[in-house]
Amino acid sequence: MIVKIQDFYSFLHRCQKDCLGGFKSVILPKKSQHSDDDLFFTTLSEDNDYFLDSYRTVDPIRMLFYFPREIVLPAKKSKCKRLIVGAKGCDLRALEVLDKALINDDFVDPIYNFWRENTYIISSDCMTISPSCHCNLLDGKPYAEEGFDLNLSRMDDSYYITVGSSKGEELLLLIKEHVTVSKVSPNNINSIKANRKLVEEKLRKQNKQYERTENYYDLRSVDIEKWIEASKSCIGCGGCTNICPTCYCMILNDETVTKDFVKVRSYDSCQLHGYARVAGGDTPRPKMYQRFRNRYLCKFDYMKSNFNLLGCTGCGRCIDTCPGKIEFRKVVQKMLELPRKRVSSSGMKIQESENV
Amino acid sequence: MYNANPYDVIPAVIYEIIEESPTIRTLRLRPESPISFKTGQFVELTIPNIGEGPFTPSSSHYITEEMDITIMKTGFVTEYVHKARVGDTVGLRGPYGKGYPIEEWKDKNILIMGGGVGMAPTRSLFLTLLHDIDDYNSITFLAGARAPKEVIYKQHIDEWRKHDKVNFLRAVDKIPEGERWSEEVCLITKLLEKIDIDPKDNPVIVCGPPVMMKFGTLDLLEYGYADKDIYLSMEKKMYCGFGQCRHCVMGKYYACKDGPVFTYDMIKNEENIWE
Ligand code: SF4
Ligand code: SF4
Repeated sequence: MIVKIQDFYSFLHRCQKDCLGGFKSVILPKKSQHSDDDLFFTTLSEDNDYFLDSYRTVDPIRMLFYFPREIVLPAKKSKCKRLIVGAKGCDLRALEVLDKALINDDFVDPIYNFWRENTYIISSDCMTISPSCHCNLLDGKPYAEEGFDLNLSRMDDSYYITVGSSKGEELLLLIKEHVTVSKVSPNNINSIKANRKLVEEKLRKQNKQYERTENYYDLRSVDIEKWIEASKSCIGCGGCTNICPTCYCMILNDETVTKDFVKVRSYDSCQLHGYARVAGGDTPRPKMYQRFRNRYLCKFDYMKSNFNLLGCTGCGRCIDTCPGKIEFRKVVQKMLELPRKRVSSSGMKIQESENV
Repeated sequence: MYNANPYDVIPAVIYEIIEESPTIRTLRLRPESPISFKTGQFVELTIPNIGEGPFTPSSSHYITEEMDITIMKTGFVTEYVHKARVGDTVGLRGPYGKGYPIEEWKDKNILIMGGGVGMAPTRSLFLTLLHDIDDYNSITFLAGARAPKEVIYKQHIDEWRKHDKVNFLRAVDKIPEGERWSEEVCLITKLLEKIDIDPKDNPVIVCGPPVMMKFGTLDLLEYGYADKDIYLSMEKKMYCGFGQCRHCVMGKYYACKDGPVFTYDMIKNEENIWE
C-alpha cells in the first residue's frame, strides 16, 4: 500500500486530535533546536519539522518504555494508547533485548509491559546515516526487518507501507478509513530496494575501517593491559550506558513515608564506582578499566548468553555521547585483534594461549 | 508467582531482637502473611524510607509464620537495622533464588562452613537438615569468627551438639585481652585438619566473607572435594531479586535468580566471582 506523505501526516494529526483508534498521543522524531544533526522523540504538534526518514534519534526508544525514574510501587493504573512513528531498525532490535530482559518467566516489569502492549510502532527506513551508525557491523540493516507494526519506506512524495503484525493490520485499516491509499507497482518495489541498497553501501563504506572478526566470546580473554590502555580517557561518567538502547540496569529506592511502601526505580550505570557496591563498601570492579571492560563484556558476551542476542545494535549513540572521545567501534576492533593472552576470570590461573 | 506487582512488599513486625554480638543482631519477624521459602533462598528486607537489602533467613524453612534474619552492621541500610526496635514494621519481598538442593543430599555426610555473619544462611540450612536428621548420615559444622565476642548463636550451641549425628567445631582467629575462649584458635579453614570426612560425593557448603570463600575453596579442593560438590553462597549486590537490575551478574549467571548458591563447578570460569 502507498500513502501520500501529506495524507499520512494529516492522519497522524487526526489520531492525536480526535483520538482516532483510541490513540492519545503520537510520538515522532523532530530536529533539535541546538543542532541540525540531532533528532529527538517528541509529541506531535502543529509545527511540521518532523524527520521520519533520517537516522536514529539521540534518545533511544527505550526511554519511551522504561523511564529514567519511575514509581513502581504502588503500581499506577494508567490508560493510554500511543503511536510511535519513525522508529529505526536498530531501536527495534534493542526492544527485542529489553523484551527478553523485562518480560520473562521469572519476572514481568509491569510498567514496561503496559507500554509495550499499548504502544503501536511505525518504523521507517533510514535514508541517511550518522557518522557513528554502524549497525552493519552487527548484522543490522538500515531498515527494520521485524519488530514493527507498520513500516514506512520513502518514495518521492509517498510512503510504501509494510505490515508487520496484527496490530499493524488494525492500524492500516484505520489509515484506509481516513485517507486515500493506493496499490503498489513493481516499479515502486524496485525503487525501494535500490534506496535500501544505496544506504547499505554508505554504511559499508563508512565502517570499512572498523571491520572485525565476530568472535565476541574472545573478549573475555583479552589481555588486561589492552583494556587499561583503551580506557585511559574514560572518566566514568556513565553517559554511554544511559544513552544505550539496550542498557536497563536499575536501582530500587525506598521512599516510604506513610504506612504504604513506596518503591522508586531509576537507571543505574555499571560505569559508576558505586554500582554493585555491597554493604561494607566492597565493589566487584573498583578500577575504571574493570568497569569499562564490563560494558563490552556485558554487550557481547553476558547478554548473548542471557538472551541469545547481542547487547549492541550498532546505533553509535555511545560514540556521540562520550566526553572521553572513546570510539566504541575502534575499541571492539582492537580488542578482537590477535594475539591474545588467556586469563582465567577468577584470576586463579594464567596461561598463554595458542593463537586461535 | 509474580501475578501482581513484583515489587510488592509484605509488612512484617519485629517481635524480638537478639543481640548476637556487638555488630550482629537477629531480627525475629512476623510477616502479615506467611512466607514460604526454601533454605538458601533470600529475601529483600526494607527499612521504610531508608532502603532495602538482600538477606538470607537464618531460620528453618519449615517455619513460615515467623522468620529470623541475622544482620551485621556494615553499611547504610544495616545501620538502620541496628536502630530498629521491637514493634517496628519492616518490609519483606521474596523469596528469591534457588536455595540449597538438600533433596540431593540424602544419606550424605554433609560439611558446612560458616564464617562470621556467613553463619546466618548456614544456620537456616542446619536447622532445616536437623528437622529431618534421619535422612542424612552426618552433619559437620565448622564455625569461625574473628574473636570470641563475635561468635554468634552462642545460646543454641549446647542444644545443637546434643545430636549424635552432629559434629560442631568452632574457632576464633584470635583471643583479644579480656576475652575468654575454650575452643579452637585458628582460621576456620584450619578446622579442616581436625575432621575426617570422605570428600568423595559428599557436599560441602561454604558461606562467609569473600576471602574465606576463596581460600576455603582452595583448601577444600586440596582436601579432595570435587568442584561439583562445593556449594558457595555468593554475596553480591542483589537489588531486585529477579534478574532485572543486573548488579549481581557474574558472567552468564545472575547471583539472584541462578543462585545465590552455586557449585564451584558452575562458576569457576565466570567473571567477578571472588570480588
Ligand atoms: S561515555 Fe565515555 S567517558 Fe563516559 S563512562 Fe562511557 S566510555 Fe567512559
Ligand atoms: S553499545 Fe553503543 S553502539 Fe551499541 S547499542 Fe549501545 S549505544 Fe548503541
